[in-house]
Amino acid sequence: MMTKASTQQMPRQDEDDDLSALFDGELGAERARLALRTLGSSPRWRERYDTYCAIGDALRGTHAPAGGADLTARVMTALEQEPTVLAPMRGPRDRRASLWLAAAAVGAITWGLWSQLPEPHTAVPLAANDAHPPVDVQPYLAAHQDFAQAVISPAEMNFTQVSLAESRP
Amino acid sequence: MKRRLLTLPAFLAALSAHAAPALPPQEAAAWLQKISDASRRMPYEGLFVFQHGGSAQTLMVSNRPNSGSSESRLLTMDGTQREVRCTQQASVTLMVNGNQQRLERRLNKRHFPDLLPENAAPLANWYSVRSGSADRVAGRDCGNVEILPKDAYRWGYVLCVDRNTGFPLRAVMINGEGRPLMQYSFAEVRLGTMPRVDNRPIPAIPETARPVANERVEVNGLPPGFTRIAAVRRQLPNLSGEVEHWVFSDGLTHLSLFLEPAHRPAETIKGQSKQGMINMIKRPLGDLQATVLGEAPMATVETIAMGLEAKP
Repeated sequence: MMTKASTQQMPRQDEDDDLSALFDGELGAERARLALRTLGSSPRWRERYDTYCAIGDALRGTHAPAGGADLTARVMTALEQEPTVLAPMRGPRDRRASLWLAAAAVGAITWGLWSQLPEPHTAVPLAANDAHPPVDVQPYLAAHQDFAQAVISPAEMNFTQVSLAESRP
Repeated sequence: MKRRLLTLPAFLAALSAHAAPALPPQEAAAWLQKISDASRRMPYEGLFVFQHGGSAQTLMVSNRPNSGSSESRLLTMDGTQREVRCTQQASVTLMVNGNQQRLERRLNKRHFPDLLPENAAPLANWYSVRSGSADRVAGRDCGNVEILPKDAYRWGYVLCVDRNTGFPLRAVMINGEGRPLMQYSFAEVRLGTMPRVDNRPIPAIPETARPVANERVEVNGLPPGFTRIAAVRRQLPNLSGEVEHWVFSDGLTHLSLFLEPAHRPAETIKGQSKQGMINMIKRPLGDLQATVLGEAPMATVETIAMGLEAKP
């Protein structure tokens, strides 16, 4: 693998730099997006990724167990894959932008993510009962937010009719 | 190239570190209290993004603490104009839609980043606290703090709190599998700088909620840690007539119970939002209709809804 890689190193130096910079979080938003795409499609990059992981493990003197990533890391990974949640690109940014400019930028990034990603499926399956036509829960949700989070977005809810006996634990 | 490889392990460590052990209860309680204090006692002004179920909204928030209390303001930056203003005396929501304005009294003063209760230490009974990886939010270095339920009756949070102050810069609500349900995240924030004074007086609006005089329902077997924190009669926006609104909370998770006369033949309905964050049960209860809902697992909603009993 290394021989193969080194014979091709010269023309691919920039690419390698990008992969490495991506790991270090030093890539600008645009190039990071490109690099992530390449990582997804290029077997050669995946191979390098595995090598980097192995180097990291060796330097720490540990081998990460399967699925051993900590919860925060898993959550952050999920955020990056979720259309429901914004994954801010960690790139160089101009911190002098005013709050208003930041608002516009955030809106734009959000819209970009939304329009590209597929709809998620329901994580928790509903009981296998008859589907029920929509119930207007918005007044209740709005009142509930006085005590909960203060910020609401109209919730898309699925409804099922159940019998009381069945609902009892 | 070499320099980059040297920083690689640090990056990988953040990505795949072994799960940290839960903090001892006392330390957990201290952390929770520190975060709670920071969000209420610090002056700040910033923009945060709220995301849930395929929608996102940007909001401006400011907080001016003064001897023992504070004045805060929340303003939506996109969509319908909605402003929440909270002072020691009152908390109101102002909605502006074209030429129409609507003012509503809120029954509570809290909003993001003020997520943890004023007395946050008891939360350590129901949630374990672990410190996670370092991160950066809104240009500030922060550390992730995982607040994870000890049972199946509540969702967890991963907060990224400012390294220096403990101020929550990002809050992600997660389900039992660690799947994100919603997120608040500052895009820009000025911490420790007193925001401008908002001189506009809060319009006086009549008290719309009054105490429940005569309770017609009993609640049996609340999930562990939950107590009733409110019971009022109130009008709901876009709904005619008064309802009883009861609120149950463990300090972080809130569930509402609405009681109203049953108008139609009673049926029991379960409802769930797309990612499963909000759960609801509507059920008949004598001649009443009870609606239990909140940002909590179905098990919590079900336990409360099925534990209700109409008083004879």
